[in-house]
Amino acid sequence: MTDAVVLDDITKRFPGVVANDAVDLTVETGSVHALLGENGAGKSTLMNVLYGLYQPEGGTIELDGEVREFDAPRDAIDAGIGMIHQHFMLVPPMTVGENVVLGNEPTKWGGLATDRSRAREAVRELSERYGFAVDPDERVEEISVGERQRVEILKALYRGADLLILDEPTAVLTPQEVEELFDVFEELTAEGKTVLFITHKLGEAMTVADDITVLRDGENVGTVDADGTDREQLAEMMVGREVVLDIETESVETGGTVLDVDELTVTEEGTDQVRNVDFEIREGEILGVAGVDGNGQAELVEALTGLRSPDEGTVTLDGENLAGVSRRGHIERGMAYVPEDRQERGLVMDFDLTENGVLGGQHTPPVGGTRIDWPSAREHASDVIETYDVRPPDPEAGAKSLSGGNQQKFLVGRELERDPGMVVATHPTRGVDVGSTEFVHDRLLALRESGVAVLLISANLAEVRGLSDRLAVMHDGEFVDVVDPETVTEEELGLLMAGERPDEPTTAESVSADGGER
Amino acid sequence: MSVGRLRSALDGGDLRRGLAYGLAALVVLAALYGLVFPETMAGDLLRLATSESTLGAALRLAVPIACAAVGGIFAEKAGVINIGLEGLLIISAFTGVFVTDAVGSVFSIPGIWVGFVAGVLASTLLSLLFAVVCIKFRADQIIAGLAVWLIALGLAPFAATVVYGSVNTSSVGTLGTWTIPVLSELPFVGPVLFDASPTVYLMFLVVGGGWYVLNRTSFGRHVRASGENPKALDTAGVDVTRVRYLAITLSGVLSGIGGVGLSLGQVGQFIGNGQTMVNGKGFIAIVAYLFGNYNPLGAFGASVLFAGLDALQLRLQQIPAYAVPSSLVQTIPYVTVIVVLALVGHTRVPSAAGDHYESGED
Repeated sequence: MTDAVVLDDITKRFPGVVANDAVDLTVETGSVHALLGENGAGKSTLMNVLYGLYQPEGGTIELDGEVREFDAPRDAIDAGIGMIHQHFMLVPPMTVGENVVLGNEPTKWGGLATDRSRAREAVRELSERYGFAVDPDERVEEISVGERQRVEILKALYRGADLLILDEPTAVLTPQEVEELFDVFEELTAEGKTVLFITHKLGEAMTVADDITVLRDGENVGTVDADGTDREQLAEMMVGREVVLDIETESVETGGTVLDVDELTVTEEGTDQVRNVDFEIREGEILGVAGVDGNGQAELVEALTGLRSPDEGTVTLDGENLAGVSRRGHIERGMAYVPEDRQERGLVMDFDLTENGVLGGQHTPPVGGTRIDWPSAREHASDVIETYDVRPPDPEAGAKSLSGGNQQKFLVGRELERDPGMVVATHPTRGVDVGSTEFVHDRLLALRESGVAVLLISANLAEVRGLSDRLAVMHDGEFVDVVDPETVTEEELGLLMAGERPDEPTTAESVSADGGER
Repeated sequence: MSVGRLRSALDGGDLRRGLAYGLAALVVLAALYGLVFPETMAGDLLRLATSESTLGAALRLAVPIACAAVGGIFAEKAGVINIGLEGLLIISAFTGVFVTDAVGSVFSIPGIWVGFVAGVLASTLLSLLFAVVCIKFRADQIIAGLAVWLIALGLAPFAATVVYGSVNTSSVGTLGTWTIPVLSELPFVGPVLFDASPTVYLMFLVVGGGWYVLNRTSFGRHVRASGENPKALDTAGVDVTRVRYLAITLSGVLSGIGGVGLSLGQVGQFIGNGQTMVNGKGFIAIVAYLFGNYNPLGAFGASVLFAGLDALQLRLQQIPAYAVPSSLVQTIPYVTVIVVLALVGHTRVPSAAGDHYESGED
């Protein structure tokens, strides 16, 4: 068996950091190889070196036994490397076919026109060969995220790639689309292609990869055979210490009702995004909401946090009806909110961490009030940075200079340190590495123990199941069922998420929606 | 009231459509009325609007607008908003006349064609300067575009004053008309379409060629990708900077044809009072391509509409029977622009228009 790629002693420095420190990597031809590591471990840097985007300070790249040097991505493309970035490099108003051939258009009449039928044919042939269901004439802006990713893969294949590099390919996909992507990997390797993908999710690496290389702090910790390892070993390699993967919860005595939601309905452009949702969260309780993204979770959260008014129904916090209470009023009543999209809603990318730390607290002393007390704001930011291990530990650092995981840690820290009575957390560990996820989970559980009510919305099933006391499943704007996360099986959850209602509303797993007996 | 409902109420798509249909119906009614009662004002207007001379004038007046509009489409589709079209028209209009006058014929090429090429060249060079400022020095495109206009607006009349002692140049004659045999004998369309200034034929070429290049060639696709998602183009191995330079230069060439088409094609001299003879045509061109939703054919239609109203307005002034103040009549094309813009709601601006792009930037 030959090796598709041999990286030898690659070193890449950025001002102040060594992103890759003498990294070796060997990838076998026709295999699926996972590059596993926490955020900032140097995975993307290494791949960008291989793709010619960065020039390494030292080391050699060997492709199919030949030493190569890439000055630009074009060289790498010509050498048969294709890279699929996390953010798709597609032109939305153009068709699938136009995107696939962009930059390499087949022409006719001596270059005077693009040969559209030939392009369409080529795309159709490629997509059939690899079992992709994409229509070359559809506009990219009209197809799903999963399909767009397949268009990116087609683009690489059209350029004759034998080695495909994928940067966090599953980050934007639904569980079903992840399955489909893994099937695509199999098709690709069956055709003799080599797949190298970046991930920080242990489960993914274990499921689909043949070999797993773990990076930590820019160094190669080791390459292991996926069949001969387990999650604990990988997590330890990634983090450098033993990690507790299973969330351990202690039972907490629940107190009085904190949040009471009654017949909540949110309508947008004539359709009910949230329909008659009814629930209650008590002190010291975590209510999880599971469901495929886009089934009303975002609208539900907006209605609860004061970002929009519900069309029908009431939201009561600590006995007070929140109808007509502003967003600021929600904050002042002790409701913390970790928004779904940290870059759109959580942080201001052009602000530094001190300024971002003030957001939401600008009206409350000691930081806010009639004027903002910058020294104490800086102190506050430093506290969050220290407690939540945000890197770099610099309150003057701009939010956009941080990696996604560190942005998320800072955001979660800011919200949870508000001393809330109620927390609404949406995807609190999205894009966060294993070590930090463990920390965020511990914080949420500590809040629960201190009597805080938590509403947790997450696409990560293991997370909602592990943390929640009760688990609501949302489909098409409704709570299909509220189940006991300890006893429910993955299959049952999957069916509920697909909108299949339990035959009998009071099965063994069901617990009443308002908390009741446990 | 939910945010969504409020938004759809404010959007008023239905209201806009209703207004547009209503207006169109009104125009048709007026035309029918004029047809039935030729002695009324509606009858006069209809006769004027459909006369060969008005239509011929409309096409002639459309040349600078349509050519600049197609040029503007290329620049903006590539991601650079070229608001300096007006300046490009001015500089080429002046240079064309000046070189015709000063240089004269070269290698037995008639002087007026030498001036033509020189005018186009001047506009191209100015657009290249604009490109360098915007791309290499990352200047704000709107400000740089305004600078192009102001430079030309100051420079052309100034140069005319230095050379001719007045902001107007002396007259050098026009390119005349080319009569296409046989076709020009056709009733009505013949005299309008086939007995016209060579710049009118050139305009048809620019519009048709512009549409073809944008929609059928690799370069056109690269232009569109460069304005929508330059990073996608860059990772596909195409140099975004090169595409943008080419697109802006092309906008200079096409605007140059428009500017020379105005001075050498119709008037025969450069007039430099006030806003100069270009008089806002470059800005109308921007409106025309927005109205045409970045499609050269649509932009052409809009240009002919505006130019037609301008031609009509000129004719109307010559009818003494209607004592409408001429300054009021002159506003007709501009009022139409505003009405049309209010009624056209579907323009889709390229996503990356106005943004700088640097390869390797994260």
